[in-house]
Amino acid sequence: MIEDPITFEVIKNALISCAREMSQALRRTAFSPNIKERRDCSCAIFDSEGHLVAQSKDIPVHLGAMPLSVKSCIEKLNDALVDKTMALVNDPFLGGSHLPDLTLVAPIYAADERVAFVANRAHHADIGGEIPGSMPGLSLSIHDEGILIEPRIVVTDGKLQENLIADVLAATRTPDERMGDLSAQVAANNVGLKRIDEVAEIHGWNVLRRSFDELQQYSRRMITERIQKYNGAQGRFTDYLESDGTGIWNIPISVSVKFENGRVSVDFTGTSNQVRGNVNCPFASTLSAVYYIFISLFGRDIPTNEGCWQIIDVLLPERSLLNPEYPVPVSAGNVETSQRIVDTILGALAEVIPELIPAASQGTMNNLTIGGFDINRGRQFSFYETIGGGAGASKGNDGSSGIHTHMTNTLNTPIESLESEYPLRVRRYALRRKSGGAGKWRGGDGIVREIEILADSATISIQSERRLIAPWGLHGGECGAVGENKLIYENKEHILQSKSTIIAPKGAIIHIETPGGGGWGPPQPEEK
Amino acid sequence: MPKCSYLGVSCFSLSTMKVIGVDVGGTFTDVILVDSKTGMQYVHKVPSVPNNQDIAVIKGIEEVLANNSLERDDVNLVVHGTTVATNAMLERKGAKVVLLTTAGLEDALEIGRQQREEIYALSASRPESLVSRENRIGVDERIDAQGNTLLPLDQDEAVKVSLEVMNRKPEAVAISLLFSYKNSTHERTLRQAFQNQKDVYVALSSDVLPEFREFERTSTTVLEAYLGPLVIGYLEKLDAALRDLVPTSHLTVMQSNGGTILASQTRGRTIGLAISGLAGGVIGGWEIAEQNKISRALTLDMGGTSCDISAIIGDIIVRPDNEIAGLPLRMPSVDVKTIGAGGGSIAWIDTAGILHVGPQSAGAVPGPASYNKGGRDPTVTDANLLLGRLNPAFFLGGNIKLNADLAKQSVSEIAAQLSLSIKETALGILRISTENMVQAIREVTIERGRDPRDFVLIPFGGAGPTQSIEIAESLGIRKILIPPHPGITSAFGLVCSNLRVDLMKTILVESSQYNFSILIKTLNELSADAERELSDQGVSKKDIQLDWKVDMRYVGQSYELAVPLNFDGNNLLKESVNLFESLHRESFGYQMKGRQVEWVTARVSAIAKSHKSTEYNWSVQKQGVPIATREIILSNGETVPAQIYRRDELGEGQEITGPAIIEQIDTTIYISPDWTGQQQSNGCLWVRRKS
Repeated sequence: MIEDPITFEVIKNALISCAREMSQALRRTAFSPNIKERRDCSCAIFDSEGHLVAQSKDIPVHLGAMPLSVKSCIEKLNDALVDKTMALVNDPFLGGSHLPDLTLVAPIYAADERVAFVANRAHHADIGGEIPGSMPGLSLSIHDEGILIEPRIVVTDGKLQENLIADVLAATRTPDERMGDLSAQVAANNVGLKRIDEVAEIHGWNVLRRSFDELQQYSRRMITERIQKYNGAQGRFTDYLESDGTGIWNIPISVSVKFENGRVSVDFTGTSNQVRGNVNCPFASTLSAVYYIFISLFGRDIPTNEGCWQIIDVLLPERSLLNPEYPVPVSAGNVETSQRIVDTILGALAEVIPELIPAASQGTMNNLTIGGFDINRGRQFSFYETIGGGAGASKGNDGSSGIHTHMTNTLNTPIESLESEYPLRVRRYALRRKSGGAGKWRGGDGIVREIEILADSATISIQSERRLIAPWGLHGGECGAVGENKLIYENKEHILQSKSTIIAPKGAIIHIETPGGGGWGPPQPEEK
Repeated sequence: MPKCSYLGVSCFSLSTMKVIGVDVGGTFTDVILVDSKTGMQYVHKVPSVPNNQDIAVIKGIEEVLANNSLERDDVNLVVHGTTVATNAMLERKGAKVVLLTTAGLEDALEIGRQQREEIYALSASRPESLVSRENRIGVDERIDAQGNTLLPLDQDEAVKVSLEVMNRKPEAVAISLLFSYKNSTHERTLRQAFQNQKDVYVALSSDVLPEFREFERTSTTVLEAYLGPLVIGYLEKLDAALRDLVPTSHLTVMQSNGGTILASQTRGRTIGLAISGLAGGVIGGWEIAEQNKISRALTLDMGGTSCDISAIIGDIIVRPDNEIAGLPLRMPSVDVKTIGAGGGSIAWIDTAGILHVGPQSAGAVPGPASYNKGGRDPTVTDANLLLGRLNPAFFLGGNIKLNADLAKQSVSEIAAQLSLSIKETALGILRISTENMVQAIREVTIERGRDPRDFVLIPFGGAGPTQSIEIAESLGIRKILIPPHPGITSAFGLVCSNLRVDLMKTILVESSQYNFSILIKTLNELSADAERELSDQGVSKKDIQLDWKVDMRYVGQSYELAVPLNFDGNNLLKESVNLFESLHRESFGYQMKGRQVEWVTARVSAIAKSHKSTEYNWSVQKQGVPIATREIILSNGETVPAQIYRRDELGEGQEITGPAIIEQIDTTIYISPDWTGQQQSNGCLWVRRKS
């Protein structure tokens, strides 16, 4: 099938480095700390039908979902996607994840034919809606969460057209920063277009397009071989989200995983219906979480592309928590529910492949947004970050402490960046000792982070989980400690719910303790 | 060793000087002496002394002077490439460090940037930090983002902290406080508290890396503290010994960035030496490539212990940061990859019965089994000997007599475990060793989207030319260029390197007429400092070339583009902004109208260029005749007779058709049946695949 293995490898890696260079360009030119410092963005390359061909290794929840955004742009815009245009989309019901994640898609033309796409997704720190940061603790409709962008062309002749995004700039509290970040997204695609052209110049488009197919076939074949040996194995599990922020508690996610004939079926029948609050997880993000598990288990050394998941059948009941319909809110689905999907599938596989499955990790991203008016700079501000926690222990290894697990891998905000750009001050940033679950191998510890508000008042939103239901241990390992959110003001502590939005006065300190990971195997006597 | 009389190299513009290059490898220490008055070059090799590298350095210099009856009182410069820092990082054998941070942030070093190394890892992980929790101490103090003091650090607190530190009996202290790049007062107050502790090496983050991002600054400062005591102790000892041996000379050390620094100025900058010992080989290999008008070169420096590989297109790349043994390092470094594969790499069998080669090496002592110095483990050298590719009587020109019986005995032991013949086992050892190097080459070419078949392989080091054809075959490379003296190419690189000083200072101001004087003043100050550092190394001012750059970005961005500035331009403000905007357009496809631009970091490089060496003049005209015929075993197991030549007897233009062996003092070149070698007038040997 593969005619020249060296050329195949060279092209494969050239495409991956294209994607990597796109990521670099994006964060090098971005304006918001969430992109330039925390790298909450991902880049990838697609064939002419929008199938993923190569990606940068950034954020798992972005990467499995982006192909659906590209495909929806092709479907909705098709002939309008001419040379030197780029399309913008964030619609969670058309391949998007949540509104702050803006995806910019650029077609590549060879002569008159559209032969490929490059695209990137970046999380914008404010996209409008009821609450600064567009990640509210409480929302009842998608429209509470910001502006919904169906696929539309925003770049023509290679230039970002301000008049085509006027409504986006009007909706956000921070239009200047948005303009800077969107320009950075254009830059990333520009770099991708240029690099792919260089690759095509060396190898020719015929060879390149054939490689796109070969790559997907290769990955599919490799991953099929790996899962063959589990034919017949199956497992089930149910885990729970603790709340949707509107008073619905203990929301079940159920899964049944079955290996058959070199394919794997992942059936979510029994999962909760869509809910009122914002933990509904868009279809694309759900797929991302499923794909993440199987790539991690069987495909870490296989090129990641559409071929990796052609052997996975996902059954998602309609209007369910994991396949919601317009206009339910979804902002926490991509960041919180996606983590629980991972826990649920891992739980189902824990008995099937015990040597590979770790105990539950922190199971949340601890999304924190703070916004308000910055009097020194005379403008609105909107700060967003996620906080690492404990990783689950696995057979032979303690879990790592203070680290991002599973569906995200964003960096922290350097304190020196955070305090230079926002009226905020970090009082404490430490590991949360002994929060990891005891076990033969210990779960990792969570983090304690304290941020003081220096603005006159600020709106603080938290989307978090595992504040009530602890990350589970495995094979006799103990659970990790649950997390905690507090507001400290005038030396009094006020406990906040896992999904909260509050307005805090100057001098208030938001105190977040993130969950520990679960332990693996019974604790040794001296640990008890 | 005899001197090489046919060389006509003058490496330095600095007239009438003798320059010595000393490169320490894991197995041998190589010395080259260049006399610019006579244009002569003298080379020598002595076994390395791993934990006391200076012993071999001194011995090598002593012997190169004595063997060639050279005067010692007109040696001006000793350029040294050392692996002291690299080894400390690889083996995690640096100093015991206590870290001082702003209170509340003691764990920032351990948390890092909170991300994991591999996104598709169900068990997230990252490397362990160099300072354990109990040795990280918080200090009650606070500076804000503008550099204002929020919580002052008083003397009492500083003294209290220093006592706490000393109780832990550290060898070094790293001090990294929040916003110290804006205001270093508190860091300096803390340093004061240690001024009577002469045995403790103190590193301040505001000295080591005065840039924002607390984790990167802290981890780099910790590394400076971790390496400092060891590296400084070593260089001081060496410097003192050299002052006795060659009193008129200065000792300079190769830095990771490919430029040299005076040994006496390395205090506080030892992380700049992280890959000191690797840079010389890259420079030497690339120098050879340039002499032969090669634009894509794979330099492969294979010695006794390790193999250093660099894929170079157009020019050596200096990367802004580096990572060694999982330790991130924000210091400019020559792009080179190193793996544990050398002539001394040990072949061993794991519990599952699988044959491995390296990364452990038998080094020079005890050395491969055939050295007969007590080593019993079979090595790559032993395998090469058994396959007839090495001459037992002419290894290192006969300085080391190889014992084939001992080689056979050692290989037969693992052959028995593998149920293979000795021949098959020896071929297996070579194949695995070759595969390890091939994999490393793939990482620097194929994995970066480059085709290795477009490159010329330049193998050197004592062991490189013996295995280069097998490496080339496995990658589809068809051209190999072997330098005149492969074994000392790294040391040659040291004396060819430019003297170079890079200085930087963060100014972070908007680009405006008002701030222009700040930029100019900073650049002028840095230039004066840089020139002083070079003139301390014996360079006259007229030979110094200054380069000005300023890192610029749009206000709001976090990363900069380096904008070169015209040294005597009088409209630097407008020029820098225009250039920035066009660079931004070129790099990212757009520029932002009306956005304020800022100057972030002023950078000055002062370079005293070594004159490009005139090429070797290969003066032998008469065609060399084989000195013998020896049976060798090819990679397919076939035994064939091969003609044996001596390199220094090859005539200019002479062709050698494989199978053949070309022996020289510092290496052995193996040419397999499908390849042909041709000696060039510039000293190099082209080896090309026949079809």
